[in-house]
Amino acid sequence: MDRNYSRDLLKAIQKADRAGANAVVDAWAAGRSFHQVIPELLAPTLETFGKLWAQGSGGVSLATGYVASKVAEDVLSRLLLESASREAPALPAKGPVLVGNVEDDFHPLGRKMVAAFLRAAGWEVHDLGVDIGPEQFVDKAEETGARVIGASAMMFTTAKNVEKLREEIDRRGLRGRLQLAVGGAVFKLRPELVEAFGGDGTAASAAEAPALFERLWQQSLTFEPVSGEVRP
Amino acid sequence: MNSLERVLAALQGQPSDRPPFLLNLSLYGSQLTGAPVKAHFADPAIFAEGQMAVREVFGPDLLLSPFLVSALGEAFGSRAGGPPEQAPNVRAFAADSASAALRLPLPDVDGHPRLLYLRETIRILSRKYEGEVPVIGLLVSPLDLPPLIIGLEAWLDALLFRPDEARALIDRCTAFFVQLGTAMLQDGATALALTANLANRFMVPAEVVAGISRPALERAFGQIPGPIIVHHGGCPLVPHLADFAGLPQVVGFLVDAGEDLAAARTTLGPGPLLLGNLDGPGLADLTPGQVRVLCERALAAGSRDPQFILATSGADVPLGTPPECLQAITESICLAGGGLR
Repeated sequence: MDRNYSRDLLKAIQKADRAGANAVVDAWAAGRSFHQVIPELLAPTLETFGKLWAQGSGGVSLATGYVASKVAEDVLSRLLLESASREAPALPAKGPVLVGNVEDDFHPLGRKMVAAFLRAAGWEVHDLGVDIGPEQFVDKAEETGARVIGASAMMFTTAKNVEKLREEIDRRGLRGRLQLAVGGAVFKLRPELVEAFGGDGTAASAAEAPALFERLWQQSLTFEPVSGEVRP
Repeated sequence: MNSLERVLAALQGQPSDRPPFLLNLSLYGSQLTGAPVKAHFADPAIFAEGQMAVREVFGPDLLLSPFLVSALGEAFGSRAGGPPEQAPNVRAFAADSASAALRLPLPDVDGHPRLLYLRETIRILSRKYEGEVPVIGLLVSPLDLPPLIIGLEAWLDALLFRPDEARALIDRCTAFFVQLGTAMLQDGATALALTANLANRFMVPAEVVAGISRPALERAFGQIPGPIIVHHGGCPLVPHLADFAGLPQVVGFLVDAGEDLAAARTTLGPGPLLLGNLDGPGLADLTPGQVRVLCERALAAGSRDPQFILATSGADVPLGTPPECLQAITESICLAGGGLR
């Protein structure tokens, strides 16, 4: 009987067993092209994991989410190494998109997990780090051509700084064209703050960020391009 | 009855003249006194003055030491800061891994200025309100200290992938926790309230809870010579209460806003206090009328439980919350009987 690798990978992640998860990936890759590991094994498994996380079921905790993001990073590192040796592109790139913690927020874990899940889903991610002011976010978006910013804040006090980012996006006439995804503990506890602070959307967990960014990216494309922009 | 008698009655499951209540107004004291937030979280006399104003204006039955966990990180060498209108938060960690943190000296609970600040507020408040109002010393459990010293990511890394290092750091943090907790009680704190998030299955897998977290809490709490209240710390607590039941010295649980108090009591049985479950940070967005409705609902649910204390859940009540919203809680309590002594 064929082994159900996705189920085994999910089980290893749920047990926070990073080594076990990588062993499942290795077993899957034997006799296959490693370049297919993301679309055929990792992405569908992380999607299932994200649903369990959002439901709060299946023994999923913040720590298992962290392990899932580490497994995604492990796979991406191997993929990049293999691509370098073959001189072939690692992943079909989507994006670019930005992630960062808003001004005065110094809680990087959720943002790093989001970046890992986005990269595993094929997004080109520019991770700006912690304590990022609104001008820095929007300058970088204009410089890179990003259509989605992922802004992370853990607490109510720092989440209020999302409003400043919203104002900066609007001030530069980029509303709609530049979408604002917001996340962090406070938005999960108080989802009404997403709209109140000017976010265009949020995800129930880091693992669901790729679906959110996809939706916001498509939403952005319905707006007029800014002057000088060349659409792909 | 005075506040202390009311809280003791709840602890013993005895009736009282009215339900006791607790407001997390550690930061809000500065709004009442007009003191700059920076001074409020640096000068024990100024902070204590804020709690006295809280007691004077709203009449809660329990008062708090500063809700300032960053001070515990600072004691290990982390750097804290933040905008002038907010309580400081950790901005740079003292070490980048559990193994590096093991090389840090243990803070001197009788000498470190940030720890002396916390302790002196307790001394001032307990002298002022001795025999009248319980003063609660706020702390974090030894499991929640490492995120203030090395950050949550490095701490998860140790807990999940290097359990021996994690256990060694917990042991070290336990020694500090016991020293500081004991000192706070000797300074006059009636009880300690603390988070134990890294023992919550919302944060870590069941295997870590059973293999590391719960045994660590048993060892640490068993050395504390006074009562402990476990705070939900922003995580859902009720679904995981069985993991905390029966821990030494634990006399109560403060659950998150909206959690089912009856389910909590079913899990715990009679004995521990249940505190909650008004959303403290959310009060700023409500009208006094809406707050009154929430209070009445919570009090009605709690009226079937003699060991219930109405309390704000979550983090500190934010500055800018209209005092009328807090007054609405006080009025609801008064309506439930007994007045505000």
